[in-house]
Amino acid sequence: MNRRAELLWFWLLAGPALAGFAVFNLWPMLDSLWLSFCQYDVVTAPRFIGLRNYVYLLKSDPAFWASVKVTLVFTAVQLPLSLAAALGVALLLNQPVRGRGFWRAVYFLPSILPQAASVAVFVYIFQSDGGLLNRLLALGGVAGPAWVSSPTWALPVVILISLWGFGYPMVIFLGGLQNVPRELYEAAHIDGADAWARFRHITLPQISPVIFFNLVMGVIGALKVFDLAYAFGAAQGLTPGGPARATLFYGLNLYQQAFTYFHMGLASAMAWLLFAVILLITWLNFRLGRRWVHYGD
Amino acid sequence: MKRAMLGPTGITPMPPRYRESLFWLALTLMAVTGFWWAGHSREPRSTPNHKVITWIVFISPLRDYYEQEVAEFERQHPGVEVRIIWVPGSEYHMKFKTLAAAGQTPDLFYSGDVWASYLRPFTGDLTPFVRRDAAEIGLDDYFPEIRAAMQHEGHYFVVPETVNVALLYFNRGLVRAAGVAEPTASWTWDDLVQAGQKLTRPATATDPGVWGCSRMEGWWGEWLTYVRQAGGTVFSPDGRRCVLDSPAAITGLRFYLEKSSKFHISAPGGFEPLNGFVNQRVAMQVVGHVNFWLNYNQVPGLDWDVQLLPAGPASRTGGEVAIAGYSLSRTCQHPEEAWALMKYMTRPAAIEEVVRRGSISVRRSIAEAQIHDPHRTGNPRNLAAVYEQLKYSLPIPRHPNYIEIMLQVVQPEVDRMVLGEITPEEAGHRAAAAVNDYLATLAVAGP
Repeated sequence: MNRRAELLWFWLLAGPALAGFAVFNLWPMLDSLWLSFCQYDVVTAPRFIGLRNYVYLLKSDPAFWASVKVTLVFTAVQLPLSLAAALGVALLLNQPVRGRGFWRAVYFLPSILPQAASVAVFVYIFQSDGGLLNRLLALGGVAGPAWVSSPTWALPVVILISLWGFGYPMVIFLGGLQNVPRELYEAAHIDGADAWARFRHITLPQISPVIFFNLVMGVIGALKVFDLAYAFGAAQGLTPGGPARATLFYGLNLYQQAFTYFHMGLASAMAWLLFAVILLITWLNFRLGRRWVHYGD
Repeated sequence: MKRAMLGPTGITPMPPRYRESLFWLALTLMAVTGFWWAGHSREPRSTPNHKVITWIVFISPLRDYYEQEVAEFERQHPGVEVRIIWVPGSEYHMKFKTLAAAGQTPDLFYSGDVWASYLRPFTGDLTPFVRRDAAEIGLDDYFPEIRAAMQHEGHYFVVPETVNVALLYFNRGLVRAAGVAEPTASWTWDDLVQAGQKLTRPATATDPGVWGCSRMEGWWGEWLTYVRQAGGTVFSPDGRRCVLDSPAAITGLRFYLEKSSKFHISAPGGFEPLNGFVNQRVAMQVVGHVNFWLNYNQVPGLDWDVQLLPAGPASRTGGEVAIAGYSLSRTCQHPEEAWALMKYMTRPAAIEEVVRRGSISVRRSIAEAQIHDPHRTGNPRNLAAVYEQLKYSLPIPRHPNYIEIMLQVVQPEVDRMVLGEITPEEAGHRAAAAVNDYLATLAVAGP
């Protein structure tokens, strides 16, 4: 195939995807970058205001730092718990037990349930007055707190609810575990390594690329949480992000600024700040990953 | 030589550069056609003899009724077509603003209450129409408080169809069982507390208990009533300053808090029973919503009624009056036809039908007929109190950023107060300071 024909085929095959990316991703992204320097309420034309949106967010917005804090706390607590749970269950489901396929499906099932539906169920469980958990605690003579409507407990409850859906990282861990060569375990076993030593010195290094992948994707996902936070507020009829901004995630705050209050310029600035932070954290992850991720080369 | 250039079929092959150009031309044509087809409006368009009015409406149980009314309107107004855009309630404002951003603001839209300020940039001034047709629409037939709520700075922006008014709701069965006298029109906060304490029944192992009075958490519905009844308010008269730190406002916030913390007539913060009034877990509730009446009346064993809100230390006035009705887009191309539709949908017969379906009347004549109707059944029995309460009610403050200010800035402080983290004084001062900071930033460098 000559070079011209090759070029033609390239554009023919990649062209639609590139055009789609340019029209539906790149252009809106650049437009959003421009809007982040504007005051724009959707109805009147955007008005250039320089860095005011960024200054307002960082210095004056009463909700911005609250939402940053909630999101960072969530990421710092939920991500390790979720990865540990996913890895733990993947290790169990990797054992040669009877009905393994069934159990794998069972543990994956919550991940395909709509977030809004599972949140609504959990909110009923955690309801302060008459909720299942507080009823059970009452049987033991313990007065349960106002789980979902107390600023102290609301975020831990959201974290707990989010752990319910660890199916996707679990499946990826499972794939990684199945690729660990059996002979490594056999050799270690012959050398007298116990289960913990085998896990620490064989399993973990061998699946480190998978852990790294789940970690990067998990950080990005945790920083962008929206549906969980939205459904949590809606299920209780609370002010979104309430009580007292305890569940005001960054994504929810951004959504409200954009689609409830129509501060599109401000919301665009928030989106670009989030993009910058995710980029920075991902870059850091890759830098630090060199120290502990083993690709077997 | 020429023969050698023919292809196997005997047709001269196209030179590669033409082939390539043809490919790009075909691709471009396909893309343009595709985009045109996808973006081409298939909606009916207005012509000089056929005017199309667009009306964006919440999906509600009134859907059949609206469609029947519109069909009748179109029959009576040949040459006018009404296109109803049905939208789920939760998506209403996003859909509305998206249409507005696309230059397709609907001609008629839902407004009133807090939305009257929120939607002001889109709303046309109805004053010339209202003044011209005052007799025809029966302007004097609207309650004076409702006429006030229809206006902003002397201009009419909304024609109402329904209204909600804050009231004291009480469970007659629980009141009787506790041997408490039913609330009267002369009740004050003290009476509410005393009755609430008698009605409160602690939970036991076998009885979930009853709270004397509910407390609505998470939004301004109830605490703002107390703030106003104590003589306070949210904004200074010019709307430029938040005055929730005034002693009167703090008195109102304190009463809201002390319903649970001191008087123990309401559940502690965060423990309000779910649907407590319907589930007969709370005996009285302040505020409520007339839209729920139909539901209340379908609950077996729930015998309920209403009374005027108990008076606060400064005044009885303070509950919310929230009208819901129609506004006209300021970019409407056919304002006369749209106004004709508004008049049709709010004519006395239409209001009667809306009332028959469970609302209360915005028109005095229909309200009086409803009060004195000997065949009326169901609750509330004290319908006179509903319309009497209008005299003591106020619309929501008219600030374009009201919703954002209250939910984003003020409510988190009130939430903290209810949960015992800060005092009413701290809540009032912190909320006022945050709102004033927000207003100042908004004025000079806001989003």
